[in-house]
Parts: sequence; C-alpha cells; structure tokens
Amino acid sequence: MNIIRLRRKSRAWGRRQLYSFFSSLGTLLSHRLGTLMTVLVLGIAMALPIGLYVTVKNLRSLDLQQEQWGTITVFLHSSAGENEAMALSRRIGQELNASVQAVSPEEGMAQFREASGFGQALEVFEDNPLPWVLLVIPAPAGGVTLSEAVASIEPWLQEQAEVDFVQVDFKWLQRLAGLLELGDAMVSMLAILFSLAVVVVVANTIRLDVSGRADEIQVLSLVGAGNSFIRQPFLYSGFWYGMLGSLVALLLFNLCLHYLRQPLERLLEAYGNSFAVQNLDAAGVLIVLLAGGLLGFVGAGVSVERYLRQIRLGGMIGR
Amino acid sequence: MITFERVTKRYDGGAIALRDISFHLEPGEMVFLTGHSGAGKSTLLRLILMLEQATRGQVIVNGSNLSNTPIRMAPRIRRGIGMIFQDHKLLNDKTVFDNVALPLMIAGLRYQDIRKRVRAALDMVGLLGKEKSWPMALSGGEQQRVGIARAIVGMPPILLADEPTGNLDPELSRDLFGLFRQLNEQGVTVLIASHDLALIRSMGKRVIVLAQGGLADDIAGADLAGARA
Repeated sequence: MNIIRLRRKSRAWGRRQLYSFFSSLGTLLSHRLGTLMTVLVLGIAMALPIGLYVTVKNLRSLDLQQEQWGTITVFLHSSAGENEAMALSRRIGQELNASVQAVSPEEGMAQFREASGFGQALEVFEDNPLPWVLLVIPAPAGGVTLSEAVASIEPWLQEQAEVDFVQVDFKWLQRLAGLLELGDAMVSMLAILFSLAVVVVVANTIRLDVSGRADEIQVLSLVGAGNSFIRQPFLYSGFWYGMLGSLVALLLFNLCLHYLRQPLERLLEAYGNSFAVQNLDAAGVLIVLLAGGLLGFVGAGVSVERYLRQIRLGGMIGR
Repeated sequence: MITFERVTKRYDGGAIALRDISFHLEPGEMVFLTGHSGAGKSTLLRLILMLEQATRGQVIVNGSNLSNTPIRMAPRIRRGIGMIFQDHKLLNDKTVFDNVALPLMIAGLRYQDIRKRVRAALDMVGLLGKEKSWPMALSGGEQQRVGIARAIVGMPPILLADEPTGNLDPELSRDLFGLFRQLNEQGVTVLIASHDLALIRSMGKRVIVLAQGGLADDIAGADLAGARA
C-alpha cells in the first residue's frame, strides 16, 4: 500500500520535473538575445581559467626528469692537463654516485665549431683557449630526486683544487618548476574567482527572469504550487545558462588554441622536446560542462530562494 | 466545509478588517458573501486561502484548522480550493489549454489524464473549441470561464470566487451564476463574494452580509426566496 503510494508520488515528481525542464528550455529560447548575451559573458569568463589550466598542463608534460637537465659541467683551470683531468675523473668515480665524461679542449673546440658555425673565426686563436671539461651526471639512488643529488654533489666538486668553475644547468629547471607551481596556484585562484563570477552572473540573470514573471509566480502559488514547483524551472534555467556558458568557453578556447598552436609548438621544440600541444581530454570537457551547469544551478538557487522569501501574495485578491 | 469561529483580523497598521466573525458552511452549500467595498470580503477570502493569518479565532477549511497549520502547508490547502478572480489571473503567454492544465501539472498528473480532464473542464464551461487560443484573443466573459475551468479542473471540494462578475454585463453575469449553481449541484461547496445584490437575490441562496468588518446579516436561502415572493 505504502509502496504504491510512494511510486505514485515519485512518478508525479518525475512528471513535474519533466514539465519544469521543458518549460525552462522554452523560456530560454523565447528570450534568445538575452540568453545569448548571458551565455557569452559566462563563456568569456570561463575561457580564461580553462586556457591557463591547459597551458600549465602542457608545460608540465615536458619531460623534466630527463637526465640531460641534471648534467653538471665542471670547468678545470687552464693549467690542468690531461693527467689532472683523468685523476679527478677517477676520484669522482670513487667518491660520488655519478658517471663522468671527460671532454678534452680539442673535442670541445670541435663541438663548438660544429654547434656555433664560427668555423673560420675560430682559426684566429693560435692556442686552444678551452680548458678540460668534465661532464658529471648524477645517478640518484632510490628515493633521492635529481635536484637533491645535484645539490649534494655540487659543493664537493667546487672544493677540488683543479676545478675552476662549476655550472649547473639544473637551476633554470628548478625555476620552471617554481613557475609551474605558481601557475597551478593561479589556475585554482582564477577558477574560484571566475566560478564566483558565473554564480553572480547567473543569479542576476535569474533575478531578472523571476521579477519579469512575478505575476506568473503569484498565479502559480494561488492555484496551489509549492515553492519547489515554482523554483524548478528557474533552477533548470540556471543549469542551462551555466552549461551553455561552458560550451561557449570551450569553443572560444579552442579557437584561441588554433591560432596559438604553431608558435607554441615552435617554442617548445626549442627546449628539445618534440611536442604536440595537448588539449582538454574528454573527461576534462565533461567536467567543464558539468561544473558550468552546477554553478549556474547554484546561482539560480540563490536568486530564487531570496525572491520566494520576500514574495507577498496578499495583494492578489481585492484592491 | 468552511468554519469561522470568532475570527478577528487586524492588519499590521492597526486597522481591523474583520471583527469577531463566526459562520459555518456545510459541504455542498452555495453561499454569497456581500457587503460594501472595504467591508472585509477580500480579507475573509484571503484567510481561507492562507494568504493571511487570523489575528484571533479559528478558520477551519476542509477539516484543517488553519490557525495551527504551518505556512509551508499552504499549497496543499490551496489545492483543495478552486479560486476564481475578478481579473481572471490567466497567464497570457500560455494557451487556454496550458492555463487550465496548470493545477494538474502541479499535481503531476499524466499527460493523457491532463488532456482528458482539461477537455472535460472546458466542455463544462462551454469553451471546448478554444483549447489552442491565447487568453488575450478571448472576450472578457470567455476569459472568466477559462478561469473557472482552471478552478474546477482539479475537482476541488471548495470553489471560491472574488467578484467574478465584476467586469461582465448582466446577461453574462447571470450565465456565470448559472454555471456556479450547476457546479454546486454536483456537490461542490461554493462561496462567492459579490455586490451584485439583484443577481444574488434572484439565486435564492444563503447570503452572508459583512459591514465594516462585522457580520451584519446571515440570511438563509429560503427566507430570501420568501422575501422575493
């Protein structure tokens, strides 16, 4: 008996939802221009955090743990010859957890000539000005990150008598990691700020919708509609606004990406990565759409709730 | 069906709209509520619809004592009452069908049932061909009948009307009252606020007269008919 009643009630609930659903869609379509403007504002607002998020995500996908980034270049004094260089190489091999590659001044000159294109100009040097160079590549043991390994090796190298100068390529990598963390924080911050903007914009739009339909709301409550029945079409409208806003944001973002793709890929290739810009994946798109809808829903809820609390029906009968 | 027990309504400003009113409507009764403007007719209807709360005394509608019914139950109380307004209160951006269907959509009925009952209600008020019309395209009398169809479509046990003939010519008014009598004969309790005394007298039904917020007279239909004869 109770189950039958419950089922009947839930079916009635479902039919009311369906009614609200279609009536909200009808309302949005009947005010095309207003809907379009709201949705555009929402889309532009949401495109920003999405863009930053994808940018940071792409930078992160660079392979930052590549060994070449961890190489320490050790320049020896120009007075140090092959013997000293070999001796130091052996000591490094014994003392440190790292592999060593010695580069003679001749090899260095050859590499430089090839890489720089200064072939002819270099002929003016009578003597080879380059010192012996040791390339030290730390082999971090389990649990130790590359940056920690480099940090532990660097001071020891600097103390050695033969060593003139130690250069760690690693520093810019640390800076990039720092920038990426900053980027993450900014994505979170922007996401929160712009979510708030979406809620406020939808709340304001729905507030106008509601006051534009004040008469209808009064008639509805006089013929026995509960607050939930009155609220539902507006909540659905809010959901549609948010979701359409997300859709516009995704379109805008993809348009921008289309223009930026080539310069971006060229830039990233310069950092040695063969690189294809990654877009949002399917899950990301779904999350953006649902988040937009949810935010719109919340905005509408805030607005309608306020209105329903201050609604006065007393004036409807008599003058 | 509707009982007022020593009801007083004082508005926030201090004005007293109703003063110690008591009366009782039996199920299936048809009663007219009359009196000058400002006599308290509208306030009395508002109390029944839970648009206002009585300051003192008790209002009992369809078995519910409204003095101790929480305001969130108001929609349920209102669903048991068909309300007809002087200015119809139709939604102009919805068709006649959708207007009449409103109470049924609120109740969450199946579309097939809604269709059937809306058509029956429109048939009852003689507007079966106008389902797809827009309210603004109808005459005043037709709009009022759409309002009545909306009031009766949910088959409420009580029908309230606030000056339903206010904007209609005498002939249409008489037709409308005939329609109310017809509904009453089907068992609906009907309470009509009106100041059209001639028409009220011709109906031969009970009349409650308000004056300056007090109950001035409560005349049984038989007496009224006798007085006329």
